[in-house]
Amino acid sequence: MATVTINGKDVEIGSNERLNCIQAASKAGVEIPAYCWHPALSVVASCRMCLVEVGDKKPDGTVAMQPKLVPGCQTPVKDGTVIIADSQKVRDARKATLEYLLLNHPLDCPTCDQAGECYLQDYSFNYGRGYSRLNEPKNIKPDKDYIGDQITLFTDRCIMCTRCVRFTREVSGSAELQVVSRGSHEEIDIFPGHPVNNPLAGNVVDLCPVGALCSKDFLYQQRVWWLKSTNSVCQGCSTGCSVTVDQNEDKVYRLKPRVNELAQGHFMCDEGRFGWKYTHSEERLTVPQIRSNGHTTSQAWEDVLASVRSSLQKAATGRQKLAAVLSPWMTVEEAWLLAVCIRSLSPQAVLAVGPVRVTGADEHFPKDLRGHVIEPVKFTIRAEKCPNRAGVQAVVAHFMDELMPFEELLRLASSGQFSAVYLTGGDPQGWISEMQAEAFSDVETVIVQDFLPSPVLQHATHILPSGTFVEREGIVVNHRGLAQLIRRAVRGPDGSRPDSRILWELSGRSGLFQPEALRAEIAAAVPALAALTNPALKTTGVLLETAQQTTV
Amino acid sequence: MSVLSEELREKIRAEFPKYPNKRAVTLPALHLVHDTLRAVSREAIVEIAELLELHPAEVHDTMTFYNFFKDETNPLGRHRVWFCRSISCMLRGGEELLETVCHKYRVHPGETTPDGRMTVEFAECLGACEGAPCILVDDVCHMNVNPASASALIDKL
Amino acid sequence: MATFEPALFARINKPDSALLKTYQADGGYSRLKEFLSMAPGDVTNIVKDSGLRGRGGAGFPTGLKWTFLPKDHPGPIYLAINADESEPGTFNNRYLMELDPHQLIEGIILACHAIRSQKAYLYLRYEYGTSYRVLDAAIRECRAAGILGNNILGTGVCCDIVLHRGAGAYICGEETGLIESLEGKRAWPRIKPPFPAIEGLFRKPTIVNNVETLCCVTQILYRGTEWFKSIGVPPDPNNPRDPGSYGPKLYCVSGHVNRPCCVELPLGVTARELIEEHAGGVWKGRRAKAVVPGGISMGFLSASELDTRLDFAGPGRVGCLGLGTAAVVVVDDQTSMVDVLYNCCRFMSHESCGQCTPCREGTAWMTKILERIRTGQGRTEDLDLLMEVAGSMGIIPGTTICGLSDGAAWPVKNAISKFRSEFEDYIRSRKASVTSAQQLMAVH
Repeated sequence: MATVTINGKDVEIGSNERLNCIQAASKAGVEIPAYCWHPALSVVASCRMCLVEVGDKKPDGTVAMQPKLVPGCQTPVKDGTVIIADSQKVRDARKATLEYLLLNHPLDCPTCDQAGECYLQDYSFNYGRGYSRLNEPKNIKPDKDYIGDQITLFTDRCIMCTRCVRFTREVSGSAELQVVSRGSHEEIDIFPGHPVNNPLAGNVVDLCPVGALCSKDFLYQQRVWWLKSTNSVCQGCSTGCSVTVDQNEDKVYRLKPRVNELAQGHFMCDEGRFGWKYTHSEERLTVPQIRSNGHTTSQAWEDVLASVRSSLQKAATGRQKLAAVLSPWMTVEEAWLLAVCIRSLSPQAVLAVGPVRVTGADEHFPKDLRGHVIEPVKFTIRAEKCPNRAGVQAVVAHFMDELMPFEELLRLASSGQFSAVYLTGGDPQGWISEMQAEAFSDVETVIVQDFLPSPVLQHATHILPSGTFVEREGIVVNHRGLAQLIRRAVRGPDGSRPDSRILWELSGRSGLFQPEALRAEIAAAVPALAALTNPALKTTGVLLETAQQTTV
Repeated sequence: MSVLSEELREKIRAEFPKYPNKRAVTLPALHLVHDTLRAVSREAIVEIAELLELHPAEVHDTMTFYNFFKDETNPLGRHRVWFCRSISCMLRGGEELLETVCHKYRVHPGETTPDGRMTVEFAECLGACEGAPCILVDDVCHMNVNPASASALIDKL
Repeated sequence: MATFEPALFARINKPDSALLKTYQADGGYSRLKEFLSMAPGDVTNIVKDSGLRGRGGAGFPTGLKWTFLPKDHPGPIYLAINADESEPGTFNNRYLMELDPHQLIEGIILACHAIRSQKAYLYLRYEYGTSYRVLDAAIRECRAAGILGNNILGTGVCCDIVLHRGAGAYICGEETGLIESLEGKRAWPRIKPPFPAIEGLFRKPTIVNNVETLCCVTQILYRGTEWFKSIGVPPDPNNPRDPGSYGPKLYCVSGHVNRPCCVELPLGVTARELIEEHAGGVWKGRRAKAVVPGGISMGFLSASELDTRLDFAGPGRVGCLGLGTAAVVVVDDQTSMVDVLYNCCRFMSHESCGQCTPCREGTAWMTKILERIRTGQGRTEDLDLLMEVAGSMGIIPGTTICGLSDGAAWPVKNAISKFRSEFEDYIRSRKASVTSAQQLMAVH
């Protein structure tokens, strides 16, 4: 263990940890402000915001401080390092740096997207001079809305931290962004005709500490202080990026990545970042239905649920079997509830994991000019586009001796093996084709739980409008067995219900959905899911040691 | 139809063996193209980048760092005349010299005369301070220049 | 004083001084084989013992710098020759390259041998077209004569030189700015550590040396360390850390003098002597108001400070930044210091690479303040503001990545502290002195 002293306070650093002054100070709860430094990018020490006084404590206790200020981001700490971040010298340097940054900064706060989450505002408030001494004309630079399909640049707000340029060179490898010109005339720009449209493009907006790079999707949509943030997990692929869902009045405005070294690191891809719009689609299923002979005979939840229960019970006593398709978009709790419910009605019921959508191959970044991966890999978008195949499979495997491919289940359905099927959708891009849906055309009871229309609805006897990931709470397990929580951020449209509630009631369990108790139940029953009661589940997520990796 | 002739490409390739990687040939390549074509156009940047196995932005950002290179919107004239504006030349009339020349040939620093003959630029210290004021005409430095001798030099271009 | 016998400039007035045959006739390359047969460490020790300090502006002991290279590195190790000479007022390297390129080439070969480098990159500022042509011809002569290339003069030592032209940016004269520029990138100086000796050009150990420094290496090897130390100023006996100011120095004199020139003298000549005895005195019968001691980055000597010795320690004692490039620029008493300072600030803001905040914004701010003062709209508070801004930028306080900021700050600090009343009078008079020439160049 190493001891570092920051502002007179000692803090322990692990012997394996390689930290700079900013990170060491953070451990002691001290903020050293910085713009250009980012843990996932190279160190350039160019903003000069993190200047501190650094010294060494000798074994005899005397401290030798270096005479000059040094950037905290480029100064590693070791046992005996002394950091002073609250001296007059440091305070004056911060005031000066902020004054310099504000010299040419436009007075855009009233309309700038970044207001409320802006490093320049926050640091000025905490460390700045509080008044301007500028008596000269400001440099004015033209806005650039052509930076990317999703990205616009307010050039004169830029403080030249170069995080965005370094991201496109070091993480995506696509090198679209550049600095043009020299000195105080420098601007961020693209090479004409090569906009920032790589699959990780949106991250540069997150990285920008000020409102220079903005998301066209979010531009002028909402002031950030009205947004409420909920921690969740992106459902776009089996990478399972940790995210925050920002919403106001039940409308989601944006998704942003949340740092999680166990999951994906610091970033997320654009498909996930912008791929949640379906949650507010006009096409959402919002009316529960009992249907027979093409007519709807009821639209009340209580009636529909009661009918589902009785239909299943009736089917369970017959010659044919029950079947359930558990979508890899379901949470572990939902999958468990459905599996238990069906199996308790019929111990021979067939459970299958729904179609696992795989598109192309895993895409690794950074990539070079020719599209080849450059090691070390810093981000991966996975080909497997469902968020919880591993979790759902672990549940199904607990009940079935062999995992049944979805195509096999369709074949069994076509050949009249089932009298009742419970189908769960959940794939926003559609999970079943017209032709596949035909397999259920002669099944007596077809229960469909989904949030968007699909070809199978025409064969449905019961339609249960369910929730998207921003409306539900539950566990999803990613490609390497990391179990994380998605959390409810908004209420779904009237008429829809979160899947957990639907299935809890269907199971005849009383009261409201109780996730904690349910997780304990699952953890006790399924060895592969024993870790689900670990409190780390609620923060970084927890790795399941024996999560199944086989593909159905 | 490529902007860089095969001859120009050969000259650029001839630089490769001198350096351990191709990126170091950026500045030599820019000079070769700029001298020949009097500007480095967007297409030229793309072709240079291809030759050097770089992204176009990586060539372009180097290019714009030096105010030296013109793009296709403001190409060089047949000749380029730099007027030093740093301390030693300023102390001996360098700025007035520039003004006189700009006035006479109806051109601003950075611009080319209407007949395409000459691009006038101001320069920072040209390193000929013992002969201030000095001018650099293409690749040759002339010292102890006055408005008359400057005109004489320019008219002969 | 006795006329100093030039060593660096021994050949520059000979006809065809740049040709190989002229250099050889003077004894050049005659002992190269002998030197290349020495152990590299021995060559380094000679340079260390001589007390040679870098002539590029920083004055760092050259031999010591060479020892910073990692021992037993598999290589390649590079020598980068800094021929970017862009400090206003400076032109001595130009003389050396145009008029005696072989002295430099021999110094390069010797330095490469000492540091175990086989490849030298000579970064030459673009504007020195004549130097380029002369050096190119000289290098070809050397290759043809077996002095450069593989197996130099049969010794088995290999060394070659690549000429690399810049594109007009002062910051390429900064060690790591030069390296970045040579690598094909924007010339943004690197953060240190690591220093170039550990990780430099193409991430390999690199030594960056100035042209004049390498010419001194040649002379030291041929004439000996005793000779070198017999010239200049020995260390201050009261200061154990003072390496002294040994050897000859090329001094440039320009500005308001009768005979602007470049002259080789022992380190330590005073500004007054340089101006009066070597440059014909101040022109037009006027007096000197201010004198730049070593390129504008070093600030200004006032008229009462002309007896300052121009060695590595002298200018610092009167509040200047240092000796710099020893380029002396004389400002007469009919010139406004406000105009002079504006010129210096405009240069620095134009040349700032823009990477770090204080330099990028501070140099432009100081220039804009001076612009306003020169339109007659200055206030005396502006002078205090300028002093404060200048005081907050540079590697000396630790607020910037490289020393351009210190060079930008020093003229401001010296001008305002040594000529304050002139600035105050100017401001109070509300005089405007923006000429149309300056308006033509308004883009700084």
